[in-house]
Parts: sequence; C-alpha cells; structure tokens
Amino acid sequence: MTRGTRRILSALLAASVSLCVLFPASAPAARDIAAELRKERGRLLEMKAREEKTAQELTEAIRKEKQSKGRVGELQERLKRQKNLLSRIDRKVSALNDRLERAEKDVRELEAAHGQARTDLQRAEVVAFTVQKAEAGIPLHPSARERERHFMRLYLEADAEGIARITRARERKVEELSGLERQVAVTERKMAREKKVGDKLLSRQEEERRRLSGIEREKKRKEKELKSLRAKIARMESVISRVERQVKERERRARKAAGGKATAPRQFASLSGGLSAPLSGKVVSRFGRQHDTTFDVTIENRGVEIEAASGASVKSVGQGEVAFAGAVSGFGNVLIVQHGGGLFSVYGRLEAFLVKQGEAVKKGSVVGRLPGSPSGKSVLYLELRAGGTAIDPTSVIPLDR
Amino acid sequence: MNEKPSLWWIDWRISRGPIVRESIGRFLFFCLLGFALLSLLLSGGVSRILAGRYAVTAVLRAEVPSGEGEGLARKAAALPPVRSATYQDPEAAWKEFLRAYPGLDPLRGTGENPLPGYIEIRIRPDRLTVKDVELVATALRAVPQVERVLAGEDWLPRLLLAGRLASWACWGVFGAFLAGFFLVGRLQERARAVALAGDFAFLAERGVSAGRLAFHRASGAALSGFLLAAVGTAAGGGVLFFSLRKYPILERVIGSPTDLLLPQTIASAVLFSIGAALLSGAASLLGWRAARPGRK
Repeated sequence: MTRGTRRILSALLAASVSLCVLFPASAPAARDIAAELRKERGRLLEMKAREEKTAQELTEAIRKEKQSKGRVGELQERLKRQKNLLSRIDRKVSALNDRLERAEKDVRELEAAHGQARTDLQRAEVVAFTVQKAEAGIPLHPSARERERHFMRLYLEADAEGIARITRARERKVEELSGLERQVAVTERKMAREKKVGDKLLSRQEEERRRLSGIEREKKRKEKELKSLRAKIARMESVISRVERQVKERERRARKAAGGKATAPRQFASLSGGLSAPLSGKVVSRFGRQHDTTFDVTIENRGVEIEAASGASVKSVGQGEVAFAGAVSGFGNVLIVQHGGGLFSVYGRLEAFLVKQGEAVKKGSVVGRLPGSPSGKSVLYLELRAGGTAIDPTSVIPLDR
Repeated sequence: MNEKPSLWWIDWRISRGPIVRESIGRFLFFCLLGFALLSLLLSGGVSRILAGRYAVTAVLRAEVPSGEGEGLARKAAALPPVRSATYQDPEAAWKEFLRAYPGLDPLRGTGENPLPGYIEIRIRPDRLTVKDVELVATALRAVPQVERVLAGEDWLPRLLLAGRLASWACWGVFGAFLAGFFLVGRLQERARAVALAGDFAFLAERGVSAGRLAFHRASGAALSGFLLAAVGTAAGGGVLFFSLRKYPILERVIGSPTDLLLPQTIASAVLFSIGAALLSGAASLLGWRAARPGRK
C-alpha cells in the first residue's frame, strides 16, 4: 500500500471515528445527516478502493518501468560492448585481409619467379646442349671447354637451387596463406556469430523500448487517473469534514440547550492509568509530513508504523470501549477504541480481533494479533485522534524509534 | 810424271758450272731444312701447340677473396712444371662464361653470378706429361681454398699420344726430306762422275788411283756439304728469327726467337751440319761407284 493511499484512508478513518462519536450522542436529530454520511462513506469507500487499485497499478507500472529501464540500460551496455567487440573483430578481419592480400601477392610473384626460373633453366640447358654439340669432335681448346662445361654445371646447379629456393618459399607462403584463410574464416564466423548476438540484443532492446513506452503510457494514464481520484477524494474529505463540523455544532447546541456547559476535549495525558505501548517494536514510519521517494511527493502521515515480530499481540494503549472492529481497505482489519472525551486510538493491519465492537477494554488488554510473514516481521499501524485531530503517538506513548 | 797432282776440289777445277749450280741448289735446300729443323727443335713437334691449348684449372671456393686467389696463383707458378698461373676473379670468370655461352646473357640479367674465381695453370711444353700434370694437380688439390681441379685426366693421355704421333710425323717428314737430299745428291754425283769420266781416266793413266780420287771427291763433297748446311741452317734460322719477331702469333706454335740462341739449339744445328756433311760424302762415294763401268 502506498503512503498516498494511507492519507486517504486516514481521512476515511477520521470519518468513521466521527460517526462513532456521532451516533450514540444524537441519533434522532441527526438521522438525515447520518444517512448522508453513510452514503458519502459508501462512495468514499468505493473511490478509495478504486484509488487504491489505481495506486497499486501505478506502483506496478513504476516498478515495471524501473525494471524495463534497467533492462534497456543493461541492453545498451551490452550492445555497446558488442559493438566494441564487433569493431575489434572487424579491425582484425581487415588486418587479416591485408595480410592475406600481401601473401597472395607474394605467392603470385613467387609463382611468376618460379615460372621464369624454370624457363631460364630450360633455355640454359638448350644453350648448353647447342654449344656442346657445336663443339663436338676434336676440341681446339680442351681445357677451356672442360672449364666451361664445369661452370655450366655450376650455373645449372645454381639455377636449380634457385628454383628449389623459390619453390620452398612458395610452399611456405602457400602454407601461410592457408593459415591466414583459416584465421579469416574463423574470425568471420565469430563476427557473424557476434553480429547475430548483437542483432538479437538490438531486437531485445527495441522490444524493451516498446514495452517501456507502453509502460510509460500506462503510467501516465494511471497518474492521471490517480490525480483525478485524489481530487475526488479531497472533495469527499471536504464534505466529511463539513459534516463533522455540523455534528460538533449540533452537539454543542444540544449541550447548551440542556444547560450543561461545554467541555473541552480531553488530552491523552489525562487518561486514567496513562498510556502504554501496544506492543514492543520499532517505529519505521513517522508521524507528520514525510517525503515519498516512490512518487517523489510529500505526504502527510496521520499515524506511525511500528515494526514488530510476526504474530505479536496488540494491546490497548488505554482504558476504553471498542468503537469499531472491521476491515478497512488499505489498512486490513482495523480496531478503533474510544477512550471518551473525543479520544480514539486506531489499530490497523491486524490479523485477528480478540475483542468485539462495544466491548470494554482495559489498558494493556490484548485486542488483536499481527499477521505472520515469511520475513518474521509485521507492521502495526497506530493512530491517535483527539477531538478529530490526529496527534503524534510518539509524543504521548514511549515508543522505540 | 813424278809430281803427284793435288786432287782437292778436283771437280771444282775441272767442272765449275755444274758445281756452282748444285751448290746453289743444296744451299737453298739446307736453308729450308734448317728452318724446319730449328722450328721443330723450338716447338718440340706439336708440344708447344698442345701446351698452349692445355691448362690445369683450379676452381676456387666461392668465398676466396681476390687477393688470396692471386697469392695462390703466384704459389702455383712456382711449381717446376708450371709455365704460368693466372688468377681470374669471379667477375672475369662470369664474363668469359657468357662469351662461351652467348645465349645465356639475357637469361640472367638480374641474377647473381654463381661462378667462383679460378686459377689457370699452363704447363711448360717440355713438361707436358701425365706425370707432371698429375704432380701439379695433386699439389693444387691439397690447397684448402681449391674446390676442384680440372686437369683433363680423362682425355689428357689421348691428347698427349696424338701429340707424340704428330711430332713423329713432323720429324718423319724432315727425315724424308733428308733422304731425298741424299738420293738427289747421289744422282748428281753419279751424273758428274759420268760426265767427268774422261778426265778421271786421264788422271788414272798418270798414276792417280781411283780410290784416292774417290776419297778426295767425297771429302770435298762432305766439306762443302757441312759448310752449305751450316750456312743454310744459319740463314734459315735468321729467317725464322725475323719471322717470329715479325709475327708474334707464331711464337705460340714455334716458340720464342731468343731460344734460337740457346746452346742446345746451336749444338743441334752443328750436329745437323755434320750429318749433312756425312750424307754429302756418302752420296759422293755412292755416286762415284755407280758411275764406274759396269754399274748403273
């Protein structure tokens, strides 16, 4: 439940308390007013239910928006990383392609050189054969011929060695080339894979954006609706306040006609036996104006929330009579104890009532029990009203803050 | 008649015309033979030709620098059978190789020179034998900078045999000319003896014995033969000298002109002249005998 809702419910509680005061005092005279109040209360309850539902939906929408924004942010971050990765892979592929191109060029040059060397060798063999054939018979310079033949052998061997060298270099280059091609293929496959991942992330991001946009639209719609409801509730409170004032005026006039003198509303401090804490726990939500971080608004708390162990017993803060015991939307089971003189204590979020409406209670009497929860902690809503005005419970009851 | 007449130069005194003609002919012939003899002596037959065409090649290792190659060439030249040793650096070897295989030139325009430097060792003509060549080749193979020695071991014995045969043929031709000279001389002596038979009969009537006459005639022929051979050889030697000086290319085949003045050359010429004298004397005696009555 949101705190804005609580504010509305507090108004409702105030109205209820006023009614509790009103009915026993002047039932025949204010029958019309009571009927009007009941009618207004019914309408107010209906509006409150709608408001609560809208507020819950809005809370859900905000939660979803936050979640969606988080996912979009995360997706954006992942997309950024993916883009960086793709960029790195692209640079690597580019570098590999450059190397591949150079290696291919080298291989082509080596193949050309190999072909040229083979041609040269064949032509050299032809030249050697031709010259030796022409000099066949009795050589005029046998030693020179012998030397030239030997040098021709060296020449041909050097050529053959050159061809072998080129062949080896070509084989190495071809090996390097195939290695590079494998690397390029692997890298390109990786890039395709990463691109697919990137595309998926992009589509998820788009989807998430669309969802976010829908959530934002829904949120705006809910905010608008909530604003409208709150305006209606404010108007309703205004009506109820007006009715309360009329009731009080009627009480005052009745007392004056009876010759009694007006009695000032009592103070909680003047209650016989004083006040005691309803249970042992820690105040987690204070009285008065508080800032709501969820809606980023300042709200007015008319009571306090006390965190205590699940299933803890709730005791009456003072002597009095149970004026109301029933469910109030937004506060669960609510028990109102009338202490007389316009003093009321309200206990919300109870799991069960241990007393009945109209039953007299003493200070410290167990009136109800908190619900159980998986975390082992539950919260009690406590509100004190004096003369129709909510007062800070921590100012009259020693509570652990 | 008690006074014995002198029989020296009897032919010259009784028949001057034929003697002059024969002497001129023999002189010219000896000039030719002397030229041939000296040429054969200097060239050693075809030895000098062979020595000019044969060389031992010591192929050096590729990493041997030029300075070291030249030093090795100087050491090789000091070997006894070696006439000369020349170092050729790789560049020169490459150029020579391309001259021998002109078709290769465009093939290796940008290629490296695969040939190493080498030393060409020429053997002295008189030491051009398998044994001396083997000596030089063995000495070169022992040098670490030498990668290979090309000495033509496969074909050198055949080449030397062919050279020997050619030399023998040259000397055979020379000998044939000498034999021809002897035969012609004998015929000339016989003809002259026949022509002077009357004069010789007159001398015989006056108590000159036929033997004495024949001895004196042969002695005169031998002496004139020696002189004509000596002078003719000298003249032939002179022509050869000037020919060698004028045409140095002949030196590769025959030899240096200064070798003509070597003692062994002169001794050979003298021996040749003595041989010519003996042949002349023998031809005179045989011609005398052939001219006697009852003989052809």
